[in-house]
Amino acid sequence: MRIVPLVLAFAWLALQPGAAPAADPPSLTVFAAADLTFAFRELAPRFEKATGARVTLVFGSTGNFAHQIRQGGPADVFFAADQSFIDALIVDGALLRETRTLYAQGRIVLATARAFGPKLIDLRGLLDARVRHVAIANPLHAPYGRAAEQALRAAGVWDALRPKLVFGENIRHTLQIVQTGAAEAGIVALSVADVPEIDWVRIDASAHAPLDQAAAVVRRSPRPELGLAFIQFVNGAEGRPIMKRFGFMPPGEF
Amino acid sequence: MDLFPLWLSLRVSLSATALTLLAGVPIAWLLARRRFPGRNLLEAVVVLPLVLPPTVLGYYLLVLIGRRGPLGQALASVGLELAFTWGAAVLAAVVGSIALVIKSVQAGFETVDVQLEQAARTLGRSEWSVFWSVTLPLAWRSVLAGTVLAFCRALGEFGITLMVAGNIPGRTQTLPLAIYDRVQANLMDEANALALVAVGIVVVLLFGLSRLARLRY
Repeated sequence: MRIVPLVLAFAWLALQPGAAPAADPPSLTVFAAADLTFAFRELAPRFEKATGARVTLVFGSTGNFAHQIRQGGPADVFFAADQSFIDALIVDGALLRETRTLYAQGRIVLATARAFGPKLIDLRGLLDARVRHVAIANPLHAPYGRAAEQALRAAGVWDALRPKLVFGENIRHTLQIVQTGAAEAGIVALSVADVPEIDWVRIDASAHAPLDQAAAVVRRSPRPELGLAFIQFVNGAEGRPIMKRFGFMPPGEF
Repeated sequence: MDLFPLWLSLRVSLSATALTLLAGVPIAWLLARRRFPGRNLLEAVVVLPLVLPPTVLGYYLLVLIGRRGPLGQALASVGLELAFTWGAAVLAAVVGSIALVIKSVQAGFETVDVQLEQAARTLGRSEWSVFWSVTLPLAWRSVLAGTVLAFCRALGEFGITLMVAGNIPGRTQTLPLAIYDRVQANLMDEANALALVAVGIVVVLLFGLSRLARLRY
């Protein structure tokens, strides 16, 4: 009966306190769309310094976050990649309407893997037979994917390119497909495009519907004023230059 | 480097493995030894978590245990919240791995000669005693194999955990989620180091268990 003590030891070990986080220290939990990864990693420490609050950044897909916040996900503030998710959650009563704020407009770029060779300068270049795969975010649920589809349609190359398209789950995943050279080219967000493995050129903003990104404070948040302060910080004197540097157009400068 | 994800993952996988054994072994025994209505249905339900994509499964679980879900509301009425806690990560790991325990242990029980069990019964042993002194010892290696599979699956669980526990650093960010996060943030050195840690754990564990497997029950 050697196995019984073994299982009991397992169970005992598992139930040991210690490793588990007991009480949560007072902090601000931010659910942020994946395209904000680089910008917010730089912004958050500055906000912490300015306010003394501790910020926990959680990056992921806007759609997943929307499901989670609807089900009581422990966010204090939600930065979506697309304002439609914010509006739907406000209607559901999960977000505070009066805190809804536009914080940026996204831009897309045409990215070429450096390993591939010459930088593509316009969307028609994707038709080149040497470009075997073109990565875009999934247009069904990713805002940047929708914008990519609109731009490709506007350029009249969508139908011809369809067999070459591969879909990333979100914009960071799409970038990785090009970064690794798995796709020779792709359409990604300007905010994530500054990586050594790719060359990029801007796609005109008139080629797609505006990528208006909104944020709002979560209704269940125990510290709504801190969440609002973070939104204002992102839109404020210290936040705007950083957001711009990472490829987001701040409100009022669209 | 912050090692919190490592400790959390170990704790979650150990808890989940203990729970899968507690729930999985009796189910495996039922499937191997009893004929009852709905048995085929149960067999199908058991492997369902392996068929559904983890994130989809995670979404359904979240709808069930979330604040607006039926189970979530029942738990809330007694002051408990499971979604987005480390307990949700345990639940995710159990759901993801229990099929592996049930199927291997069931196969183990089925290879045990029923005549040996009957011989024990003719000697006056109770069903309980037959199970502990005949069936389980003879199926011991299958139980061990199922345990290893379940532990490894629990340690690597990603999709379900992401949905029901969230990916909150310092609270519910397990090792696989932490690795994924580092990759997303282009911090490849940290990602590689964490991945190496995960691989190291499993190698040490498998080595230890292969020793253990040579032992008799």
